[in-house]
Amino acid sequence: MCKSTGSTNKHQSSRIRTTINGCHTTGAQRLSSCGRRERHMEAVLRNLSSSVELLAVAAHSGEVQQWDKQTMSRAFHWAREVCFLELSRCQHVLLVGLLNNPEVPISIMKMLFDNTSPVNIQQGEDEDLTGLCSHIIQYKSACKVLTPFTDSSVAGADAEVQAGMLMERLDALLSQASKACQAERFLDTVLKGCEGASEHFCQVIAAALLTRTNSAAQTASVNFLLDWLQQKHTLLQLVCSALSSALLIDLAKERLKFRHAYFDVLKKWASDMEYSISDDEWVKTSPNPTVSFQKLTEHFVGLFEACPSLWNDVEKELNNLKISDGDFDVRGLSVWGDLLSEINKGLSIRVT
Amino acid sequence: MSQPLVPLQQKAEPLLDVQEMQLWLEKAVAWGQADSPDARKDTCLHLSRLRDFLQQLLTHIHNTSSTTETMKRLPVIGQFLGRLCWNHYVTADATSRRLLFQCLWGLYSEHPSNAVEGKANQWIRKVLCQLTTEEDDTATQTLVKHMGVPTTQYHLKVLRKMVALVQENIGKGCSLLGDLSQRCSCDSILAASEACVPLVTCAEAAPLIGALLQRPLICARAALSEDFLDALSSAYSSFFSNCLLLEEQAVVSMWYHSLSSLEEAVLSLLESVLANTGSTLHRLEQQLAQSLLPKACAQHCSIFLVVNDIFRSILKQLEGNECVKSVIHTFTNRFVRELSLLQPKMSISLKAFFPQSPQNLLGPLLTQPSEMPQESWRHHLNWLSGSLQRLTEEEEEDEDGSSTRLEGHHKVFEAWFLLVQCAHWMQATAQLLVTARPEDCDPLLRLLTFYHHPTNRGHHRAQQLVRAKDAWDHLCPLFSVLACPPPIDHLQSLVALLSPNPQQPSLAPLSVLDLLVNFAVFSQKSLSGSTEILQTVVDRTGLVSEAVCVLGSLELRLNGGSCLSSDSNRVHLRIKALQNTLTHMYAAQSPAEKQAHTHPL
Repeated sequence: MCKSTGSTNKHQSSRIRTTINGCHTTGAQRLSSCGRRERHMEAVLRNLSSSVELLAVAAHSGEVQQWDKQTMSRAFHWAREVCFLELSRCQHVLLVGLLNNPEVPISIMKMLFDNTSPVNIQQGEDEDLTGLCSHIIQYKSACKVLTPFTDSSVAGADAEVQAGMLMERLDALLSQASKACQAERFLDTVLKGCEGASEHFCQVIAAALLTRTNSAAQTASVNFLLDWLQQKHTLLQLVCSALSSALLIDLAKERLKFRHAYFDVLKKWASDMEYSISDDEWVKTSPNPTVSFQKLTEHFVGLFEACPSLWNDVEKELNNLKISDGDFDVRGLSVWGDLLSEINKGLSIRVT
Repeated sequence: MSQPLVPLQQKAEPLLDVQEMQLWLEKAVAWGQADSPDARKDTCLHLSRLRDFLQQLLTHIHNTSSTTETMKRLPVIGQFLGRLCWNHYVTADATSRRLLFQCLWGLYSEHPSNAVEGKANQWIRKVLCQLTTEEDDTATQTLVKHMGVPTTQYHLKVLRKMVALVQENIGKGCSLLGDLSQRCSCDSILAASEACVPLVTCAEAAPLIGALLQRPLICARAALSEDFLDALSSAYSSFFSNCLLLEEQAVVSMWYHSLSSLEEAVLSLLESVLANTGSTLHRLEQQLAQSLLPKACAQHCSIFLVVNDIFRSILKQLEGNECVKSVIHTFTNRFVRELSLLQPKMSISLKAFFPQSPQNLLGPLLTQPSEMPQESWRHHLNWLSGSLQRLTEEEEEDEDGSSTRLEGHHKVFEAWFLLVQCAHWMQATAQLLVTARPEDCDPLLRLLTFYHHPTNRGHHRAQQLVRAKDAWDHLCPLFSVLACPPPIDHLQSLVALLSPNPQQPSLAPLSVLDLLVNFAVFSQKSLSGSTEILQTVVDRTGLVSEAVCVLGSLELRLNGGSCLSSDSNRVHLRIKALQNTLTHMYAAQSPAEKQAHTHPL
């Protein structure tokens, strides 16, 4: 914690002492403490916005020297209770804070890393924190061990799981009519957080869009994500260039909106191309993403193969574009004309 | 530092070999994070020895006074443990992970006495924090942070997903049947089963392990790793009592793939049922069914052959043990029932399951008495008795020609083994003897005697046959409807036949007791008359508890329907009444009497 917040920390620490430790009174009081805990919860909820920091401070302060197993359980229980939606990361913040806090008693640490007791993950009030860290490490390690054998997942197992969670989150936000802007804000925040690892995020989006939609709510979420994606031109282009052709074809087959968006991106890439006389090749003028003419052709061929009905309309459209370029049958004059002939070649090769 | 080893060597505890530590460190360095296939394979191969070493290391840490001392003696300990923390195969394995963490906490000084111990504390916390909270990439970190799922739940979800994906992959089957020159999806089976070595006790991986075990063996490359089978076998035997890991079918497949795990399972079962000699036949049946072994035997002939071989050798060692005989019979019964459930799908004949048994006896013995009319029993049993008599006579005639003698012994043993497996016919024999005419009793008595005393070499079959005939001759007039009160001379002779004989201590009175109980139950004599005789004889011979036992198993056999009686209601009432009387007698005995009267049957 930096110095400037020192006094706030001190203030918050003392609050935590009275709230978390305060609950730890006599056994009799605790037995009848339902109402009492409710009141504590209210106090915390009143300060909802500062709750994350509050817990973070708890994890960083010397107060934790006094903590025992019960205090820990209570802290984790609270972190979960304030979790409604916005503050979902409380538990994680609390755990990271505690593990980084050298003041945490060794007995607590040993308890967290103990794996002599069987796995016991329950969502109930008395969640047993014994071995919590050991279980996390076990799951992570087991995943690493199995990763080389999961090549059947196009997007990757972790991306698929993250996609599932993303969609659940969207479902929840969109189920409340007023939350549409929040859903958008949520996606924006995630996108921002994923800067520097955008390709992985593309995989997550792909997996999310391929989620089976069994209910109206799920369909709404997928459509919302598609609409949002269409507004994010850079991200959409990254999706179209970073994902494997198999995944793109699946998406185009599955989601009509994506099919059109994908086609628009491909057209945009084509219109960005200029003929380089020195290379004797069409070259994309703007980088990000860099796409070769050959790659672009492959994208088109793949798309039309997957969606043959699209081809009939597009052939006309490309032809019109070619005509507007002068309708020459000479290579290097119209990107549309050259694309048309290459696509035709590609499609006929695949057919034969 | 000039004499660091002297004070340590004065301690009584054996010290850890510093050179061994160095060797393990080199291994850990070579393994790295177990990213390459070779490193993975080698880690799996050494995992169980690594556990042993970590256990030694832990003992060493606990026996050393301080972390400073430990680090003086084993300067590379931190590097070694630190490297293991980042080997996923080590941290995925429950035992290795536990020992690893215990070692780290063992090195943690609650009251650090110097800078080295303070540094060590910091390092330990840092390593454990990183292991728990670090994610591979920022995207995962961001996503998990925003999704509202606790870290544990998230990783659990990913693991479940991965297990499902690998399961799907290996379920795809062989893509290139037979063509060994090309790659096929089976190539990954060996590697995948190897990867499961550290996961055998991970509950989440159980579906995958089950799928690996149950994969049909259609391709030469789809073999499972031996290390995997060994790891599974040892994990299963240590969890045998609660079987928390694998589904039934996976366990059966494990036995099919791994002989050692099958042997282990059969021996554990035998140990548990034989240790519990006081348990009832009903309890025994339950234990056998719970063991899954009869079911597994019905599904895989090879499993049955192995189990039967184990039974064969146990029976040779403990031939007189009625409990062993009872286990073998009950097991075979259960197996035949399981087999008949599978019958529509079964194409293998019974001969494949009993290749060593005399083939002419197989069908007749495996038939249940309830499967044929009671009027045909006598003929059936006469035929059996005759066949067995021929076998024993052939064996005895060959006594001189040594080459065929062994073969003869073998034949007689196999016939007897089959009779033990199908002991329901012995119940039918004893029951028929109650109403048999004198001219019909010989073959039946011969059969009963053969069952209890199969040879003349030590079993004195011929002598026993005479004894059984004597007993029968006394039992008939005793249980005659007309004989009231029971003729005292026959009663005394019967008591004499059942009493321990100082001249022939090896002769067990069980065949005679068997006859007595059957007479009491099935004869037409009044219940009070029968009760009186039984009560008198078992009281004088001290065979109360043994008689209760015979009654109990008789009742169960009748309930099981293997020996239907035309007047079953009457029979059941008589059994109940006789049981009540004998149980009260037994309860009235003093503990010393009980002790003295318990005959090893």
